[in-house]
Amino acid sequence: MVLEEEILPYLQWLTGGPEGSIGAIPWFFVIVFALLVLGLLLGFAISAARHGPLGGGDRVYRTLTAGFREMTHLSGRRIWALARLAIKEALRRRVVVALIVFLVILLFASWFLKADHKDPTKLYMSFVLTATTYLMLGIALVLSAFSLPTDFKTKTIYTVVTKPVRSGEIVLGRILGFSLLGTVMLLIMALSSYVFVIRSLSHAHEIDAANLRRIEGPGGEVIGYEGRTTRDLYHRHTIDLGSEKSGTAIVENGHYHTIEGEDGPVVSSSQGLLRARQPLYGKLRYLDRKGVDKERGISVGSEWTYRSFIEGNSQAAAIWTFRGLDASQVIETESGEQLPVGLIVRVFKTHKGIIGKAITGGIQVRNPETGLTSELYPFEALDAQVDEQNIPRKLTSTENEPIDLFDDIVTEKGGRMELIVQCLERGQYFGFAQPDCYIRLPDASPAWNLVKVYSSIWVQMVIVVAIGVSASTLLNGPVAMLFTVSFILLGFFKDFFEGVATGTEYGGGPVESLYRLLTQKNIITDLDPGAGATFIQSVDSVLKLFMLAIAQVLPDFSSFSTVGFAAYGFNVPPDRVLQDLTICLAYVAGTAVVGYFLLRTREVAK
Amino acid sequence: MSQEAVVQTRSLAKVYRDFWGRQKVRALKALDLEVYKGEVFGLLGPNGSGKTTTIKLILGLLFPTEGDALVFGKSASDVSKNDRLGYLPEESYLYKFLNAEETLDFYARLFDMPAEQRTERIDSLIKLVGLDRARKRQLQEYSKGMTRRIGLAQALINDPDLILLDEPTSGLDPIGTREMKDMILRLKEQGKTVIMCSHLLADVQDVCDRIAILHQGELKELGRVDELLTIEDVTQIRAKGLSEDCKNELRDVISRHGGELQDLSNPTTTLEELFLEIVRDSAARPGRRAQPAEPVQAAGGEGQG
Repeated sequence: MVLEEEILPYLQWLTGGPEGSIGAIPWFFVIVFALLVLGLLLGFAISAARHGPLGGGDRVYRTLTAGFREMTHLSGRRIWALARLAIKEALRRRVVVALIVFLVILLFASWFLKADHKDPTKLYMSFVLTATTYLMLGIALVLSAFSLPTDFKTKTIYTVVTKPVRSGEIVLGRILGFSLLGTVMLLIMALSSYVFVIRSLSHAHEIDAANLRRIEGPGGEVIGYEGRTTRDLYHRHTIDLGSEKSGTAIVENGHYHTIEGEDGPVVSSSQGLLRARQPLYGKLRYLDRKGVDKERGISVGSEWTYRSFIEGNSQAAAIWTFRGLDASQVIETESGEQLPVGLIVRVFKTHKGIIGKAITGGIQVRNPETGLTSELYPFEALDAQVDEQNIPRKLTSTENEPIDLFDDIVTEKGGRMELIVQCLERGQYFGFAQPDCYIRLPDASPAWNLVKVYSSIWVQMVIVVAIGVSASTLLNGPVAMLFTVSFILLGFFKDFFEGVATGTEYGGGPVESLYRLLTQKNIITDLDPGAGATFIQSVDSVLKLFMLAIAQVLPDFSSFSTVGFAAYGFNVPPDRVLQDLTICLAYVAGTAVVGYFLLRTREVAK
Repeated sequence: MSQEAVVQTRSLAKVYRDFWGRQKVRALKALDLEVYKGEVFGLLGPNGSGKTTTIKLILGLLFPTEGDALVFGKSASDVSKNDRLGYLPEESYLYKFLNAEETLDFYARLFDMPAEQRTERIDSLIKLVGLDRARKRQLQEYSKGMTRRIGLAQALINDPDLILLDEPTSGLDPIGTREMKDMILRLKEQGKTVIMCSHLLADVQDVCDRIAILHQGELKELGRVDELLTIEDVTQIRAKGLSEDCKNELRDVISRHGGELQDLSNPTTTLEELFLEIVRDSAARPGRRAQPAEPVQAAGGEGQG
């Protein structure tokens, strides 16, 4: 699973990291302060133009003090009344049709989603979660952007604002109402999706007892059975049973089956379709082909620099340093105690080799303090597969001495251990990113994991509602919707937008890009020096400042999505959920205040 | 009447501007008004005279270009003034997808009213405006008259001290009009202050204590209705059962004293009174043609004029 940014512990994220990064709370207040100053200056400029500097200043002061006073007089009953009204209004606008659309999408999805995919759960979960996300964002957008403008258009707002209703209550009531309605719709979509995925992928196989091959021990006694299941849902499993004819069907297409031997082997329904692996991530560094420490491996020419590569049959290696290891993390297997490890390898081949054949790699573990290293254990790597390795507790050192993983390799202080991965075949490369190797802690509850995944969709929906309602306090319906759509789109491409503003993207600012587009000039070469280029870049430098300012308040929608966690079967870290909920709260608070002042300073009957 | 001012406007002016800030129209010019506690105050004027603008400025729906509007001594932009205020807009701008109960419940909640008080108040208001049998029907199914009634009920939900009525009798049939006027007079009896604006001069005349006449945004006349309408140099005599001789004698007396007799005839009732009489009679004796009304009893007997 791709995890481009490290998920910091919640408190560290909130207050700032030890590496000098600014925390979420200080950053929030910086933005609030900047918006406050900007709002005051803008308010004063508009007011002064109409009423002169003194009159303008007086009005700005009165609006500000009234605003702070009114914020302390918010009434829960009024907010709830307005929220109920928003819900009734949305229901009257046939919002339920969206649910029917979703159910129709699910009905037809089975035609297009093929269960012969090598990981059908990933395919199905990605589909239902992505469809839910976009549908919910669409609903949130339309409901929030058109509600208040409709009240203005039909003048029903007259009978509301002539009651003791604070503008903040109107904004919060709308946000609450639409969020509650969205929550119920999201719940219905989540339950429908769950039933759809499980019913589409659940299956069982049969075993023809006659085709089971007996495995005999040295004395001719039966020590087990081996064979295959029948082919159902485009796949079959290899089975490995004990002498009692019970055991497990080997993982295929991302799931397994248990087999009970009593009264003939009976295969259970598919298990492990939905998982919530809990990874313990380490820090990654590299060795180059000469064994020199590097921050990154080599590039194989991919534009996406998420992974970097190590060369096969050389001293090049990827080294992960794990912390917090202890003996409680081992699992009991038939071969003794083992430390479970997950490894995802991207294979880059410079020669074809045998198609479909795995590339051989090697794993070693090392004590970061003493340098004591285990001997190399080979493994077979297929491209982009989650390979679940187990490191035995009882190991052999490079000196051929027996060693214990926790007594000799893992340090006493901090539970640190280094895991070294190498590619053993000449001319082939392994590519890694930091989250590609992890210690597998016991799986978390898949159902609870789905709740967390849906919470991230909920967060996105609430943010869209908050922005839409806030925009609609000033703009009419279609314009508020366009504004919110722009905000969402820029939010999805926030990194790129910020990159253009800071000049890290090729092609210059907006005007330069337009010039290059019109003149069909590529984005790499510099503009020809001259007055024209200077003018374009000067205008861009001003625009870039605005863009940089806007980028600071854009919600990073691409980072909210946790679809990947559910699709690849990983647990969403609680830190991530808390961070998203905190961001959501900040957006609701921020947009409600902005919405309050926009509505407060608007002439309702104009 | 107490002279405590409930509404005050001081040099209140409003200029409507376009998007670019250019002046479109000067809707109100330096209006100075005081409306006192317990009176029914009428704002009169032709279309575009500034009366609705005045109401909107008092409510805080518009911001003044110059001057101030004070309600209960507070600025019109102060939301807390709305605690004691009720407003019936011209078109009863209500949520059509709610029924009468839901509508009143919604507005009652906006006054932070507890549940028990809400239920009681909603019940009494629905009965008061005569919508008991339509309380569960959505407002989109209501006739214009019914919509006006539920609009009035929402304006009274908080038992306000000040009620602003914008064209209160607009769209009402004669019975509804009479009920509305009776309601205004009852509110006055309860000590409420009512400000209304209307095109229907007769309605204003019937219920208002004082009126202000606006034209092109300027205040043209302000005073008590009875004083404004009194014609100082004309005397009106109403009597019942006079013979022709007596009438001739009266003509002579007037002539002898140098007066000019303008009219000596039988008075007529108003069309409103005639209509109401017929409807009342029809309700009392369904299926039969109504008996002719007795005009003198209806109009002359009350000593109007």
